[in-house]
Amino acid sequence: MAKALKIGIFDNEEKFISSIKSLSEEKYEIVDVFTPYPVHEVFEVLKRKSRLPTAAYFIGLFAILSTLGFLYYAAVIDWPVVYGGKPFNSFPSFIVITLVLTILCVTIGSLAVFSARSKLFPGRDNTIFDNRATDDKFVIVLDADSLDETGADKALNIMKVTGAIEIISKEFENVKT
Amino acid sequence: MYNKEVRGPLVEGNKSLGQITREVVAPVEATPGLWWSIAFVLASAATIYGVYAIYITVYKGIGTWGVNNTVGWGWEIVNFVWWIGIGHAGTAFSIFLLILRQKWRTSINRSAEAMTVFAVMSAALFPALHMGRIWLAFYIFPYPNTRGPLWVNFNSPLFWDFTAITAYLLISASFWYLGMLPDLATIRDKTTSKIRKALYGFFSLGWTGSSRQWIRFESLSFVLGGIAAVLVVSVHSIVSTDFAVGIESGWHSTIFPPFFVVGAIFSGFAMVMTLMVLIRKIYKLNDYITDNHMDAIARILIFISLIMGTAYLTEIFVAWYSGNMYEIFAFFHNRITGDYTIQFWGMIVCNALIPQLFWFKKVRRNWLGLLSVSLLINIGMWWERYNIVITSLSKDFLPSNWASYSPTPIDIGVYVGTIGLFATGVLLFMRYIPMMAISELKGVADIGTKKED
Repeated sequence: MAKALKIGIFDNEEKFISSIKSLSEEKYEIVDVFTPYPVHEVFEVLKRKSRLPTAAYFIGLFAILSTLGFLYYAAVIDWPVVYGGKPFNSFPSFIVITLVLTILCVTIGSLAVFSARSKLFPGRDNTIFDNRATDDKFVIVLDADSLDETGADKALNIMKVTGAIEIISKEFENVKT
Repeated sequence: MYNKEVRGPLVEGNKSLGQITREVVAPVEATPGLWWSIAFVLASAATIYGVYAIYITVYKGIGTWGVNNTVGWGWEIVNFVWWIGIGHAGTAFSIFLLILRQKWRTSINRSAEAMTVFAVMSAALFPALHMGRIWLAFYIFPYPNTRGPLWVNFNSPLFWDFTAITAYLLISASFWYLGMLPDLATIRDKTTSKIRKALYGFFSLGWTGSSRQWIRFESLSFVLGGIAAVLVVSVHSIVSTDFAVGIESGWHSTIFPPFFVVGAIFSGFAMVMTLMVLIRKIYKLNDYITDNHMDAIARILIFISLIMGTAYLTEIFVAWYSGNMYEIFAFFHNRITGDYTIQFWGMIVCNALIPQLFWFKKVRRNWLGLLSVSLLINIGMWWERYNIVITSLSKDFLPSNWASYSPTPIDIGVYVGTIGLFATGVLLFMRYIPMMAISELKGVADIGTKKED
């Protein structure tokens, strides 16, 4: 499905942010913005939030309980062996393994969540709207299909006034973001 | 917050964003110089010697090493602890400094993490070989097996060690790779070569730099940083318990976990410094790794060196204060005086005394000074591990058990091989991966500079 998009390109972080602010005040639908490095004001204006820490917390909780459960099963229920006169359930010496495995599970689990939610995995070809976005330009992508002509003109005008160095209108097949 | 001139600019030379991209990507795009090829051949030759030594070790058994009944742990354990120590740099550097919001880490963390991955890979070889029958190494995995199922001993530091090191390798490699995604995408979008575009495109996993990706990337970095910071402390503490739970005099000590962790960070930072001096010198990246960066690492090294000195003195004091004749023998008649004087004093001089030269600004600002002190620290740290492992084992409680230890060419071969492996890894890293986190550098480029808009 082809999609008509308006792409505004900026070479200055402040101008770029002020443009996003005006566009979102006017309630334009911003597909996404692309920057060479994380810009925190963008997250605030576009109300981007990540629930990754919550996911990580639950992965960690699961890892702690399952590691301790496994250790208890292996060392107490399945095949109890006395090591140096210690009790079968020698909890203090299980802490180290639990700690390390929790960290490992959280790392791998939250990487998996990150990969799934951000759609980043080997061979993935997300649409590159402008390849200068990973170099030194700040890019705003607007959905032109949702706008009528006056709306589109107004949006372009906002970008121009706030200091876009270039505005491109282009159609993209199979947009993947 | 960063408006005051505490450290000076993090990136010198008032660079534009495009310029940062070009300059950091340049070594990846250029054909490497002659020095690179020569270094690569040397590193590969060392690796091949190591492969030969490992082949002999596996084929004939660890009888080909210098170890004997008394000194059951030889160079292999010394080197294992040494490499793991060096492997602490990356995480200590990038994760601790990330959590402490120390922005000056940006131009160094990538190489520190690369170093960590290769050092831990080298380290992991030793315990595996030390098992003797490496084809039975899978016995250490706790899985439902047909031998009972008999589980491993979850109370043993040796098993904790296995868990900790495997986890450490996986986690530091993940953290390193995650940080690389935006930069691999930068190369993908910038390069003119079709092969590079395809390869870096594949490995950048479809990174575009959208705000949705960035916010998750940042929050994932902090989640991983926060949780992996524990590892910096835990991994080497666990290694130290391999010794501390033993009854050998000189090992049986509660000071070991903090002592080992500090030592690990010490040798790691020293190795980071060695590498940074070389990268600065070879690639002329002084604008990114500024004199202030080197100065900051040198200051950290003085501080850690003082802790090391204190720890050495504490060990000696406690040996005397305990009144235990075996402890007194190990420290006073086997290390400070006796057969292992050279190793002991080598350790004291290299780790506690020589780094004090960094009090002088002249040494901190001189690349030869930085390079030689950092190399001496790593030699000193090797002596320290030698001291701990060999002196305690060779002369224990019964004089009839005493034996001496000297490495064979096979021992040396395995060690040289890991140095080769490490060097090969670092050289490939310099050639194919941007040596600094480009996106992070762009984020800090205007800190400390007085730009007029």
